[in-house]
Amino acid sequence: MPSVFDRIIHFIERLGPAGIVVQAIIATAVGIGLLLAFILGRRTWKSRIFRRRDRRALAIRQKWVGIVSGKVPYEEWRFDPVDREIVETILLDKLEIAPREEAEQLLRCLRESGLLDMRIHEARQYTGWRRRNALVALGRMRAPEVIPALSHALEDHHAETRMAAVRGLGRLGLPEAAVPILEKVVQGELDIPHTPLQNALLSCCRWRPGILVPYLRKAKDDTRAVLARVLGEIATGDLDEDLLLLAYDPLPDVRAAAARALGEARLALALSALGTLATDTEWFVRLRAVVSLGQLQHPRTIPVLVELLCDKNRYVRLRSAMALARLEEQLPEIFGLVTQKRDRYALQALVSELERSGAILDLISALLEPAKQAAAEEVLLAVLRAGAQRLLLSTLFHHGDWRVRVALARLLARFGEMQLVPTLKRATAEEKSPRQRRIARWLLHQLGEDETTERTPAAVPA
Amino acid sequence: MFYFLKIANNTLFVYYLVSNLVYLFLLLVAIYASVKHQRKLASIRLERMKMSPLVPPISLLVPAHNEETCIVEAVNSLLQLDYPELEVIVINDGSKDRTLEMLQESFQLLETDMLYIPEVLSKPVRGVYMSQIEPRLVVVDKEPGGSKADAVNAGLNVASSPYVCVVDGDSILERDALLRIMLPILSDPKHVVAAGGIVRALNGSRIEDGKMKEVRLPRGALEVIQVVEYLRAFLIGREGWGYFNMLMIISGAFGIFRRDLLRAIGGYRPAAIGEDIDVVMRLHRHMREKKVDYKFAFVPDPVCWTEVPADFRSLARQRARWQKGLLDVLWPNRDMLFRPRYGRLGFIALPNLWLFELFAPVIEIFGLITISIAAYLGVLSREFFVQFLIFGYAFATMLSIGSVLLEEITFRRYNDWKDMARLVTYCVFEHFPYRQFHMIWRLQGLWQYLRGDVVWKPLQRVGFRGAEGN
Repeated sequence: MPSVFDRIIHFIERLGPAGIVVQAIIATAVGIGLLLAFILGRRTWKSRIFRRRDRRALAIRQKWVGIVSGKVPYEEWRFDPVDREIVETILLDKLEIAPREEAEQLLRCLRESGLLDMRIHEARQYTGWRRRNALVALGRMRAPEVIPALSHALEDHHAETRMAAVRGLGRLGLPEAAVPILEKVVQGELDIPHTPLQNALLSCCRWRPGILVPYLRKAKDDTRAVLARVLGEIATGDLDEDLLLLAYDPLPDVRAAAARALGEARLALALSALGTLATDTEWFVRLRAVVSLGQLQHPRTIPVLVELLCDKNRYVRLRSAMALARLEEQLPEIFGLVTQKRDRYALQALVSELERSGAILDLISALLEPAKQAAAEEVLLAVLRAGAQRLLLSTLFHHGDWRVRVALARLLARFGEMQLVPTLKRATAEEKSPRQRRIARWLLHQLGEDETTERTPAAVPA
Repeated sequence: MFYFLKIANNTLFVYYLVSNLVYLFLLLVAIYASVKHQRKLASIRLERMKMSPLVPPISLLVPAHNEETCIVEAVNSLLQLDYPELEVIVINDGSKDRTLEMLQESFQLLETDMLYIPEVLSKPVRGVYMSQIEPRLVVVDKEPGGSKADAVNAGLNVASSPYVCVVDGDSILERDALLRIMLPILSDPKHVVAAGGIVRALNGSRIEDGKMKEVRLPRGALEVIQVVEYLRAFLIGREGWGYFNMLMIISGAFGIFRRDLLRAIGGYRPAAIGEDIDVVMRLHRHMREKKVDYKFAFVPDPVCWTEVPADFRSLARQRARWQKGLLDVLWPNRDMLFRPRYGRLGFIALPNLWLFELFAPVIEIFGLITISIAAYLGVLSREFFVQFLIFGYAFATMLSIGSVLLEEITFRRYNDWKDMARLVTYCVFEHFPYRQFHMIWRLQGLWQYLRGDVVWKPLQRVGFRGAEGN
């Protein structure tokens, strides 16, 4: 008696070439069935796992104090993988935000329970994603004894694992953790993307940036630029001499990093070095220099910044404008210098920045303060002369405070430029509220332009 | 006649077989790549990335045309994204509704004389506005350009960050979407020049204050089928092609690009119908011609939620436009086909687009006709005809269920059992009768293009709340 299966096969064989298609249909149907079964099975299995985890997590949290202090024997939870994972997750999460005393207690728990040793063992013995997971966990433990295990992983042949090791070392945030990375980097033995490397070094060297300097001297080409970028981010004033050396480095990236770091250095030293870097042939070095000069916020930087406002690079100009706009008290002097340059792009960049940063609105408000009024008027007139009337007119019509509107209207009347007339006439016709139309008419009158002349066809020249 | 029918049938058989095998291969690659990506994510902590001063700034470009219903919520949601250095540039592309006024009222915009240098072509800019309450927001008001590309170009001229991310005004990005999409770029900034995220349908989900609160499947059948379609296109198609660096499309709703490269190719092509595929194609060409080693990455977990058409008419228009866009890009770039200079793009990715995307509606509809005639005339065994149809249908359904599986084992956004059951059920309807309609719409698109109807038409949106209610 042939089985059902045999009968199906016999039937398919009888079909000839069409049998292949039937076979394909059956295979596809089985495939669909398997997929659906997998989705269903996985959902059910996952929901059971999560329910169990929830139950266990609740139980563990209830006796958490005992677990951390060791009163609950470690053996009670260490040998159950689910419990162990839950405890480790809670410990590591708490460690990230714990104050010093609590962190020490948590770390003691990690050490005494053997979790730390277990992860060190995994980081040394396993490969692939299991090793990477162990490295990540070790990094989060922030214990100095994990440094050798993490350093060992820097030699892994897999780039992802090397990156996990670097991230782990970075998470430790200890200067000692930077040393193995720097050693490997300088010897050209650590091939990973720059961003994770720089992030790790930033985190490790933040409190001792000097640790980078000897390696920076030893490093070559690309590596120098990478390290210099890190130094540029974290350098402090006490690195003066080293920064000065780097400012004259042949590699533009290093000079750029030095320029960035000089923003934190002593004023006298920074001014002269940044003055030199501001004339660098590379635009991004000049850009870094201008940003640092802006950070200094000192009137002595004004001549250099005004020069850079006329730079051929757009970004340098924009950054220079940003830096100048911050020197609010010196704005009249700055406008004077910029006007002398007779560079419309420079003037436009400065005015745009004043608008963008809201400085113009501050100046408008200053019109009401007797102490600041004269300086504010001087700058606003310069802004008007530069052609930036739109914001001022918009404020004139829409500002909430009538005193500001009046002050601004008087200023515009004093400005007396006929180029305001078309805009004002348009406003007279378009503005919805009578108040706004009244302001426009008054100003037109002050400018000697009677509104009615426009309306009379006879007055329009042929 | 019989001879012709025989050849046509055989060709169609091979065509179906190859296209399904390609998809099956992509499904397997996508499963592998997704699992690998998940494991990689386990060793990265996004919150640390957020605090890093080395993360490059991003300018978000949000073209908006008649989007008064959703623009404020969209901008609010973008401003709340987790990213350390962000600039949001909304480009009001000559909207006839209150888009600009809504923005002005909500963000207290002030018109400025900001320096605008038109490095890439776009219609004249009427004004640049800055917000008094949100310094990261810039609004560019411009003359209507008639296309999204033109609006993006205006934004590109204002953008000041090294990376620009184009986002649709009617879309919502998940809070950590930018951090996630930047992962491949930060891992390899030298080579990765652009990255695309996944776009999902927001219809049916609960949204509050421009944020996704609860992910649910839409109620309408048409929208659910599109959810399945999107899952298949993104989780299988893009993941698979992206793995081999042959990504030919980065969704216009959510993609990130190096700004200098976009400017180098002259920005988006204003006349392009499918500006997203067009810009990717031109970037590929630019990089290949410059002989630069580069990579376009697809990242499957940064999610952009967007409204999908809820009615046949809008859907038909959208799909016709996509097809027109495809032809509009493939035809001018036909010289890239089978040229060693363009490597695997010229030999694999582009032929695939021509054969299995552009010609698909023609071949499928033509094939259905010839195979039916052949079966009627007895050239083809009727049993074989029916069996072949069943096989094609079952195989395609299996691939759709495969994309649901991929969703299930990796990202699992649809947690509700009922949603999952509906999603699987609609996999069955995707290939009959939806697919046949889809083919007709695409064919219409080709016909319209050949007739010269190449005007870019935006879709009518109902806004977040409307989409939610669907």
